[in-house]
Amino acid sequence: MTISRRTLLASGAALGLLTACGSNTGRDGGGSGGKGPKLSQWYHQYGEPGTEEAVKRYAAAYDKADVSVQWRPGNYDEQTAAALLTESGPDVFEVNGPTLDQIQGGQVVDLTDLFDGVKDDFNPVALAPKTHDGRIWSIPQVVDMQVLYYRKSLLSDAGRRPPTTLDELVDTAKELTRDKAKGLFLGNDGGAGALGGTPLYAAGLTLVTDDGRVGFDDPAAARALAALRTLYEDKSLLLGAPSDWSDPSAFVQELTAMQWSGLWALPAVRKAFGDDFGVLPFPAAGSGGKPSVPVGAYGAAVSARTRHKKEAKDFVKWLWIDRTDHQRDFALSYGFHIPARLSLAKKADALTEGAAADAVRYSTEHGYAEPLLWTPASRVAYQDALSRIIKSGANPESELKSVVRKVSAELERVKKKSS
Amino acid sequence: MYDAWVKVGRALRVTLLIALALLFLIPFYLLLRNGLAAEQDITAPDWTFFPSTLHWSNITELFEDSTVPMARALYNSAVIAVLTTLGTLLLASLAGYGLARIPYRHADRVFYAILATMMVPAAVTFVPSFVLVSSLGWVSTLRGLIVPTLFSAFACFVFRQYFLGFPRELEDAARVDGLGYWRTYWLVVVPNSRPAFAAVGTIVFIGAWNSFLWPLVIGQDRDAWTVQVALASFSTSQVIRLHQLFVAAAVSIVPLLVVFLFFQRWIVAGVERSGID
Amino acid sequence: MTTPGAAGAPPGGRWRRLAGPQNRTLWFWAFVGPFALGLIVFTYVPLGWSVYLSFFDAHNTVSPTDFVGFDNYTSMLRNDAFTDSLWTFVVFTAFIVPTTFVLSLSLALMVNRMRRAQAFLRSVFFLPAACSYVVAALIWKMSLFNGVRFGLANTVLGWFGAEQTAWLSTTDPPWYWLVIVTVRLWLQAGFYMILFLAGLQRISPTLYEAAAVDGARPGWQVLRHITLPQLRATSVAVALLLVINAFQAFDEFYNLLSDSRGYPPYARPPLVYLYYTALGQGQNLGLGSAGAVLLALIIAVVTVGQARWFGLGRKED
Repeated sequence: MTISRRTLLASGAALGLLTACGSNTGRDGGGSGGKGPKLSQWYHQYGEPGTEEAVKRYAAAYDKADVSVQWRPGNYDEQTAAALLTESGPDVFEVNGPTLDQIQGGQVVDLTDLFDGVKDDFNPVALAPKTHDGRIWSIPQVVDMQVLYYRKSLLSDAGRRPPTTLDELVDTAKELTRDKAKGLFLGNDGGAGALGGTPLYAAGLTLVTDDGRVGFDDPAAARALAALRTLYEDKSLLLGAPSDWSDPSAFVQELTAMQWSGLWALPAVRKAFGDDFGVLPFPAAGSGGKPSVPVGAYGAAVSARTRHKKEAKDFVKWLWIDRTDHQRDFALSYGFHIPARLSLAKKADALTEGAAADAVRYSTEHGYAEPLLWTPASRVAYQDALSRIIKSGANPESELKSVVRKVSAELERVKKKSS
Repeated sequence: MYDAWVKVGRALRVTLLIALALLFLIPFYLLLRNGLAAEQDITAPDWTFFPSTLHWSNITELFEDSTVPMARALYNSAVIAVLTTLGTLLLASLAGYGLARIPYRHADRVFYAILATMMVPAAVTFVPSFVLVSSLGWVSTLRGLIVPTLFSAFACFVFRQYFLGFPRELEDAARVDGLGYWRTYWLVVVPNSRPAFAAVGTIVFIGAWNSFLWPLVIGQDRDAWTVQVALASFSTSQVIRLHQLFVAAAVSIVPLLVVFLFFQRWIVAGVERSGID
Repeated sequence: MTTPGAAGAPPGGRWRRLAGPQNRTLWFWAFVGPFALGLIVFTYVPLGWSVYLSFFDAHNTVSPTDFVGFDNYTSMLRNDAFTDSLWTFVVFTAFIVPTTFVLSLSLALMVNRMRRAQAFLRSVFFLPAACSYVVAALIWKMSLFNGVRFGLANTVLGWFGAEQTAWLSTTDPPWYWLVIVTVRLWLQAGFYMILFLAGLQRISPTLYEAAAVDGARPGWQVLRHITLPQLRATSVAVALLLVINAFQAFDEFYNLLSDSRGYPPYARPPLVYLYYTALGQGQNLGLGSAGAVLLALIIAVVTVGQARWFGLGRKED
């Protein structure tokens, strides 16, 4: 490695490159070009082909600003969280939230006034976690939900009916477990991540009560979680599949007879099995229980650090409130989501028949969304405990007791902050 | 009797080595097998040692995929890895030489201050670093991807130890010829230290090629994606296609394997004479 | 510069004093300066910033106003998840350091005595060092050790009639350690083998000849009395690098065990735990920084202790 002429030339070229590639963050200070100011819009990476082209098409169709779309693979939450601390973040971004701390920290812009006259047309379950103290902080784009997929033929071969209680689910999963295929897939971690609070809602409880206290300080909670441990102990659960619960691959590859997954997986499942499958809510747990399905929505939010607050708000209003044709296209043409607008959901043909219609019905009858007060710190504490209960056989009562303590402290913290 | 034992010992050793070598090759075999297979071959219930028909089209499919700019990512990674390597070698070797050879009262203190940063996990300073680089306006630029990673305490440490063991006679001869530190360094020390540069360079190159979190957060534009980021985009999409993932992984390591095989004997020679040990 | 009397000296004199005898100080900084400056800007400034943050309630902000003193530190030390992660990492280090050390030393000793195919074998063991943790984790998680019928490990065990094992999801027995440890061994053993090989090749053949004359039998005696003592410098360096690397363990854990909903509560080393605390939606930068500072302190104490013990970094070496 002497410094030869060639290396010198190479480093010269390199220096040239360094200076040529100036700051390029996709946004600028003032208006430029014919289309008004530059806005940068972020999406997390959707798996369905065509989605990326679609959102770029919408952005190009907007004529009051020059919107550039960024498609972000991997660790989306981490990337947006870091980017929101700086000037180089997005103006408009998709967010699985925003979180309470993002709202209280003033990182996102209040969008309440955009909802004038249309607020009632938004799915109330999806809108609730976007609302804090009566102000709305992001516009729900589409509603996603999770359901239990099962193979009709496998169940009827085993002489089983679709389970309606958690105990039946435990029995059915055990019955359907074979040598090279398992009865049920709740995710590679045994269900702690994918299910989250769902078993608690199925036991008739909540994560956080309406008045802001812990919602599962109740013996029924321990009983519901213990049933998940039974599933694991019976070896009825598929674990260690190459793809996780959000991907229907394990179900389609017949590695499992039942799988917990998102509504978005429905087209792939239908393609593989035709009519030989059905969907169910998470079954009721215990005497006071009722079926439950988790419902959530990615929302479009505006960063408080944007230099074009008005233009950014105009753009999200245009895309996610005014242009119902785009919203329809986005929800139904690529993946499989429920439009966030009730009027659109009603008119969606794809959602009115077969398993899809069942799923939509569950979402209105049994849907719950994780409350805004359920902060990431609370979620981690609960999920850790759930994992220990399922996999290590930890005592549900004592585990839950320590979760209740941690969550109470966390609720105290956020309450103190908002007052 | 004694000879017999030696023979048995050697046979055992050779067998063990071959067995271990085969074990070490298994992951490469899996990479190739899955990368060139059709999806249903990978997930089939019965194991096939190698797919009956090799799907070379997986490779072209990878480069034609419009949603992931694989060719561009390979190019970016190459540029970043080469520039990072050159920059690190220059800065760290100069610093290492200064610390080892130029008498200065506080040289040891400076050395320990540099060494101390080796103990700070990069994740500790991740968010402030990002905010800092971002406030310089370096997000999505080559500068932002390269410059903050140039100051490797490890490389500096290795060079210092290496130069401590560098034969003084050579430098003294240069001094007699009237060369100062600067020219001694470039005309005498550097040309005689190729193995050390090769060894450190390879290690830095691998690190730069394989780094993930920093390029992911700094390289926001798709045009600034590196190979590792592109690879992640295959494995974090909602629907995973295994053959695509494996062929992308295989393609991502080929350039490194080439560099590695080429520089291997340099690395051994460099380590032998450097201060790594 | 704190040289007394400098104020009274003529300007030229002060300059000369600053530049040092024969301009040595000046030359020192010409060589070390650029590197040191970069290190200050890109490592020390962020580090100082992290320490600053650790004394504040800093949710989703890097310019906090709510000073909380040592609250973040006390709550981190009282946090089971954090202390568990420290234990995880002690156990991991206690296992991986000796194992990698022994494996790479054995490989080096065996490869060094091969007359034929030495270069080939060296390449085979060294090549994995070129792979990234992302790629290795992919192979391990999706193909070698996946929990279903088309994983290689389960296929091989299936030939002997064993049940399918979900390697990464089974906590009793903790099979996930097998996956984590083998990834790291595969990636790193070859690199340290090269270090040992270089050390071996530096041992003068006359030492072995002398030993043979003295009647030492090739094999264990020579290994114990000649080879290992001669490898002392290499061994110290390898041990130190292994410990530093084990402390920094993040990639294989994260790539093997994390999923879209987080990370399981087992096999969670401190860096992974802090990653979820400080980055991600949690964004508790104050608490995360406090944990990071604690971790860096622990690392510093251990490494400095180790270096003192071995007497490393002294110029006399």
